[in-house]
Amino acid sequence: MPTIRDVAMRALGLVRRGSMERRLDAEMRFHVDMLTEQHIRAGRSPSDARRAALAAFGGLERFKDDARDEYRSRLVDELGQDIRYAVRVIRRNPGFGVAAALTFALGIGASTAIFSVVHGVLLRPLPYKDPDRLVVLWERQPGRGNDRNVVSVPNFEAWRSRARSFDGMAALVPLPATIGVAPNPEHVMGAEVSPGYFETLGVSPALGRTFASNEEQNGGADVIVLSDGFWRSHFGGDDQVIGRTLALDGRPHTIVGVMPSSFDPPRFAWLNDQAFWRPFGPTDNNRGWGRFLLVVGRVKGDVPVNAALREVQGIAAQRATEDKGNEGWSANIVGLSAQITGDARLPLLVLLGAVCLLLLMAVTNVANLTLGLVRRREHELAVRRAIGATWSRLLRQIITLSAVVSAVGCLIGFVAAVGGVRVLVALLPPETPRSGSIRVDAPVLLFTASVSMIAALGVGGVAALRGGRNGVASLRESGGRAAARLRGGSLVTAEVALGLVLTVLAGLTVRTFEKLRSVDLGFESERVVFARVGVSGAGYRTPEARAAFFDQVLSRVRALPGVQAASAVSTRPFGGMGPATTLGDASTAETGDSVVADVRYIDADLFRTLRTPLVAGSTFDSRDALDAPPRVVVNRALAQRFWPSESPIGKRLRVPMFNGIVPEVIGVVGDVHLMDARTPVRGAIYLANARFPMDALDLVVRTSVDGASVAKSLQAIVTTLDPALPVYWVTTLDDMVGRALSRDRFTAALLGAFAVVSLLLAAVGIYGVFAGDVAQRRKEIGIRVALGAPSGGVIALVMRRAMTRAVLGVALGTGGALLAARAMRSLLFGVGAADPVSFVGVAALLLLVALAATLVPAVRAARVSPLVAIRTD
Amino acid sequence: MAEKGRGDVLQGTLDMLVLKSLQLGPMHGWGITELLETGSERVLQVGQGSLYPALYRLERQGYIASDWGTTENNRQARFYKLTASGRKRLAEERATWARMSRAVDLVLRMGEG
Repeated sequence: MPTIRDVAMRALGLVRRGSMERRLDAEMRFHVDMLTEQHIRAGRSPSDARRAALAAFGGLERFKDDARDEYRSRLVDELGQDIRYAVRVIRRNPGFGVAAALTFALGIGASTAIFSVVHGVLLRPLPYKDPDRLVVLWERQPGRGNDRNVVSVPNFEAWRSRARSFDGMAALVPLPATIGVAPNPEHVMGAEVSPGYFETLGVSPALGRTFASNEEQNGGADVIVLSDGFWRSHFGGDDQVIGRTLALDGRPHTIVGVMPSSFDPPRFAWLNDQAFWRPFGPTDNNRGWGRFLLVVGRVKGDVPVNAALREVQGIAAQRATEDKGNEGWSANIVGLSAQITGDARLPLLVLLGAVCLLLLMAVTNVANLTLGLVRRREHELAVRRAIGATWSRLLRQIITLSAVVSAVGCLIGFVAAVGGVRVLVALLPPETPRSGSIRVDAPVLLFTASVSMIAALGVGGVAALRGGRNGVASLRESGGRAAARLRGGSLVTAEVALGLVLTVLAGLTVRTFEKLRSVDLGFESERVVFARVGVSGAGYRTPEARAAFFDQVLSRVRALPGVQAASAVSTRPFGGMGPATTLGDASTAETGDSVVADVRYIDADLFRTLRTPLVAGSTFDSRDALDAPPRVVVNRALAQRFWPSESPIGKRLRVPMFNGIVPEVIGVVGDVHLMDARTPVRGAIYLANARFPMDALDLVVRTSVDGASVAKSLQAIVTTLDPALPVYWVTTLDDMVGRALSRDRFTAALLGAFAVVSLLLAAVGIYGVFAGDVAQRRKEIGIRVALGAPSGGVIALVMRRAMTRAVLGVALGTGGALLAARAMRSLLFGVGAADPVSFVGVAALLLLVALAATLVPAVRAARVSPLVAIRTD
Repeated sequence: MAEKGRGDVLQGTLDMLVLKSLQLGPMHGWGITELLETGSERVLQVGQGSLYPALYRLERQGYIASDWGTTENNRQARFYKLTASGRKRLAEERATWARMSRAVDLVLRMGEG
């Protein structure tokens, strides 16, 4: 059984093997040589003599083993002594021990927790076969800076059939659907996928089968594969489920397979939770739908991703000549992992960088504390050196001391990190990808261990080199009197610089968050409830039926007590990407319209309900019936774009949708942020749902009462009208807005916390250095006071030293912060990466912290009695 | 394979003999074996396999110290020397040895008048 001693011996052996082996070899060779010479003198031949000498020497390796054991155990014994010494020193300085261990724990704990998140979200391989070969294929428009566009069906078919670089390629379309029938209809998210989808990912079903290639005919067979979660919640995990039928939007589907619980489908773009999959197949119909497919592919093992990209781009170039609609379009490939990680990547990397800086500060502080402790023991060290202790031994003792403190701190930090990760996961923005795979496991442990080791070595190295050698050397030179040079000055500089970088980053993200919150979103979000209702089934095939259904729902909702206004919109604000189109001013010649505008289908009362101001004209009314000429309400951005100096009312737009319409502009409304606060508002057109009835709408209700009770009433109204229809995605507008800000809030909150901690660490560290400095210079200060230095002069003396270091730190930190801020520029909003308010403010703050931290020691210095000058040691 | 009349150093006395050799002055390992053999009129023989481990052990215990030096033939060798605590240790061991050998002697002479 290996004991600690064995392990330590082996570890030491690794380090010391070189010198020990050299010594053993040299001694042995010398001995054998002498023995050989003796034999030669006795009259034997040289070769005979050597053989005899070697024989007499006995088993060389055994000798070496025995000798080695004796040699090594000396080092192990000394290690034991050093550890006991360290424990003794720490026990006699409990303040040092607690402060150093906790500071270390803080750094290790914070970095471990953040690394767990980074590892789970960014680094852990995706749970598919050879995940690094999986890619997402996009169309791109090089001229428009649009490099991740969904794919049209004909282009997908061309890529899939012509490309040779892929083992598989599959299309996906998110499919929201009503599952089951009255009285328990339920809205769930699923996806339509090409039959080869599961094989492309390299996953197999737990029960039954996935789709056969002929099941993509006629737009996909009515078969369905269930997720493990849906199978358990709706079929109780019954393995006889294969072959049963399930109604999907009123159409019976045969259950052919169940995926295992380990299958976590890729989530990206608007592909989120998936409870089921049904086959997708190209049809003459959907070939004309334009671009709407997500495409994943598996690049062949021996084909570089770049080569695959070139091949697909070549096919896209062919397609551009084959079909006019493909002019100006090319193709793009993004690794699946990068695609899924997406926007979460940069904020997490920024946080990881920040936490590393924090760890560096913690290490600096512990080094500082250890240095202080070593200095208080300088006399002891000098005495021990004088009576024969070797340098290496004294240095080893100092390193052991910091290693013991670090080990304790690392342990505390790791335990804290395990809890901290849970808190972090709970705080993570809801849309964070792969948050389910965040956990503290072996790779995280390895990270913590190596970071701790490096940190401990850093602490020990600084303390040993600066404290041990310089300290004792200067002590000898000055005979125990104070050295005038400030020790730990560079640590002060480092703390100020690191603190400044962290605080600037926090300042920029907090200001970004504030700017985002103060954006005029174009609506009043308080007490607005949304709920989505979709009609499906035979009763709603005609536009009249759909329009009539929503009219009835809305008139009943408006009659509810506490409802101030109610309306409907095809996609709620902050509810994700809705439809968009290119359009043009109908009075100009058609030369390829390039203005892109969002399209929303609305009930006439939408603007009153959201309290979006009507700038000119009016909203829809009873004239916008099914067969009436189409009319349109535009936002201010669009009106400005086309008619900056005349009234837009009465003008006409050219819109390619519905085989080309030329609606008359009847009103202009204020700009509404449809996606989020960050994305700049672009042109938007609103069409009347009464004229173009949709089959799913978001109900919008402004209420003076509790939102939950409104939601219940909405469900009751819909059930009364049609018990087969579910009401789903019930939220308040405030929640939608809040969720959209959650990532910025998360980043700002964490960086803010890091900044506060870093300021605290900087203050403590600077205080420590100058407290030590003043204590050491008591005699010098006493002489100055005795010679008549005013107390203000003494304070200035100490402060000047602090400020020189702090100003240098501010300069270095500003440079670092500029670089760091530039790297995270895409996270900022409303503030520049070199935002003068943040930079100047934070620099002043850091100087203030340094001043405050030096003030106490400086005042203490001013109180030094002149008597210490004449007192002897 | 010891020749007749010659024997390995008595168990437990090697440390004392090494310390005694070094009391005469700094010496390398070979020198110690030579000294012990000539000093004992070739009765005592020290195996290298026990000498060097003993030297390393004594060094670790702080009774002797070592450093590289040059022999009279101008060769590099590791020289060992007695430390203060080694000197003390030698005195103690000698006292013990004297007491023990006298005791053994007394027992062996019993009944021999």
